[in-house]
Amino acid sequence: MSRRTHSALPVHITLAIGAALVLVPIIWTVAAGFRTQISLLMGDVLFTPIGSNFAEVLWSKTSDFLLNYRNSIIVGIASTLLCVVVATLAAFSLNRMRWPAWTVHLFLAWTMIFHMIPPVALASAWFTMARAVGLENTFTGLILAHATLNLPMAIWLMAVFVRDVPKELEEAAIMDGADTPHILWHVILPLITPGLAATSILTFIFSWNEFAVALTLTMKQTATVPVAIAKFAQDFEIQYTQMAASAALAMVPAILVLLVAQRYIVKGLTQGAVK
Amino acid sequence: MAEVQIRDARKSYGAVEVLRGVDVEVRDGEFVALVGPSGCGKSTLLRMIAGLEGISGGEIRIGARVVNDIPPKQRDVAMVFQNYALYPHMTVAKNMGFSLKLAGKPKDEIDRRVAAAAEILDLSTLLDRLPRQLSGGQRQRVAMGRAIVRNPRVFLFDEPLSNLDAKLRVQMRAEIKALHQRLGTTTVYVTHDQVEAMTMADKIVVMRAGVVEQVGSPLDLYDHPANMFVAGFIGSPAMNFIEGHIEKGRFISGCGLSVATGPTADTARAVLGIRPEHLTLDPAGTAATVVVVEQTGSETLLLLDMAGQKLTYLGRDRLPIRPGETVHILPDATRLHLFDPQSGHRLGDRPGTA
Repeated sequence: MSRRTHSALPVHITLAIGAALVLVPIIWTVAAGFRTQISLLMGDVLFTPIGSNFAEVLWSKTSDFLLNYRNSIIVGIASTLLCVVVATLAAFSLNRMRWPAWTVHLFLAWTMIFHMIPPVALASAWFTMARAVGLENTFTGLILAHATLNLPMAIWLMAVFVRDVPKELEEAAIMDGADTPHILWHVILPLITPGLAATSILTFIFSWNEFAVALTLTMKQTATVPVAIAKFAQDFEIQYTQMAASAALAMVPAILVLLVAQRYIVKGLTQGAVK
Repeated sequence: MAEVQIRDARKSYGAVEVLRGVDVEVRDGEFVALVGPSGCGKSTLLRMIAGLEGISGGEIRIGARVVNDIPPKQRDVAMVFQNYALYPHMTVAKNMGFSLKLAGKPKDEIDRRVAAAAEILDLSTLLDRLPRQLSGGQRQRVAMGRAIVRNPRVFLFDEPLSNLDAKLRVQMRAEIKALHQRLGTTTVYVTHDQVEAMTMADKIVVMRAGVVEQVGSPLDLYDHPANMFVAGFIGSPAMNFIEGHIEKGRFISGCGLSVATGPTADTARAVLGIRPEHLTLDPAGTAATVVVVEQTGSETLLLLDMAGQKLTYLGRDRLPIRPGETVHILPDATRLHLFDPQSGHRLGDRPGTA
């Protein structure tokens, strides 16, 4: 037996434990969506799968889940677009506009501090602000809120990606007669596409999962998926199985986005630029 | 094409003065090399000509125009970067045509001019490749192609060969030289490699610590270095410096060397500069011990110890000499350089060549 197989075993065991830690709760949740409430509460190990929870969540007259789903998609895509556009411009400016060092550090420090504030702490203040300008219970209000919440992370990520584009490329473009918008569009953007994709995915998923602010700023027509899932926990009854079914459905877009965008997250795109 | 005139150019970053008043004149069509050790300000000066760095004081003219406040794109200069700076997501053709595209030239004109430049640089078969699919020399040629496709008034090169291996460097040196002879475009070339400067340039500007030490043709600098810095910087292997004094027309040093200097005023302290290739082995000379022998096939290099004074000898003959042996060294009296040890300036007007 080779040394290689020996040393591979502990690695595989560690990986298996890690995978189990990540996957078991997800599998349990999905499985719960296929059980009856009684089977779940009895703690039966074996059960006969039923589809009624999903049917109920999706098509029952009392359920708004498809509407919530649409709302989440609208808010997720719009806030992600807004967030990455602002973050990319900010990152470009921070890296290339020759700001004094303290400005950049102060700005990045502030974004980090802002990122550390729990969204719940902001929710009530934002509700008051939104109501004052008539943005409560609108997509615009929630889109702005989500973009704001995600901007610090997006700026930090994009700042790193923009910084990694060799400075000489920008200078070469200047010598070729490019203005700042040309440089951004023709040189920087094509090179940070993988980073842009990664940032967009993360931003979208955070927006998709965000609960506290969405709960505060939305009502029935504008509620997003996490808000809808929480509604299954009511005063006198928690509908565990329907909650699990909607949670399972809520995972679908994240998985799809990752599968589609994974190929963009490739390394080595800047290879051959310098040296 | 155009001449470049630099008058009293200064550059400071805060309190740090990088360029302390530099004057350089580049004539139309001339190939000028800026050389000097790292940090002497040569790259900064080039970037100031390009417009990538602001000018803190003085004046830079390209053609008849003062360009101090003119942005790079209106200066009509092209630059080749040390690390090529090719756009990695664009093909060779797109890289070369990018400036023309930005200038709003029609597609057929761009194609024609890129094809013409590719022809000159032997890149025609590589036009659809991406930079990462090219070798170092090919990338270097694309970077030059990007410059020549615009037909600019001035070419700027920033140490373009320093990333290439030695053999390719010699080859590209000849290619850049040939390109300049063919196009006749005014060229400013920055390098820290004095051999590159010597072989390529019409005129060399030697810089140190933000000032110009000497300007002249390669052979002029070799034959008449204005000071010890230039004398030591130009020429390889470097010039030997021997301390001593001048008495009655002879240079006499503590290591036993004594040579006739011709009519020179007596000084208590002087430095004799003599190039390794201007030392001869002669029984009439001063004795020195051989420390190291380096044979390159075409030349023999001896590192010598003359009573504590280190000397380098370079000869064309193969010598059957081993370390530890004694040789007798006689300087070629017509090729001496005398310097003031305090200021480093050349002493008297006596040229190094007869």
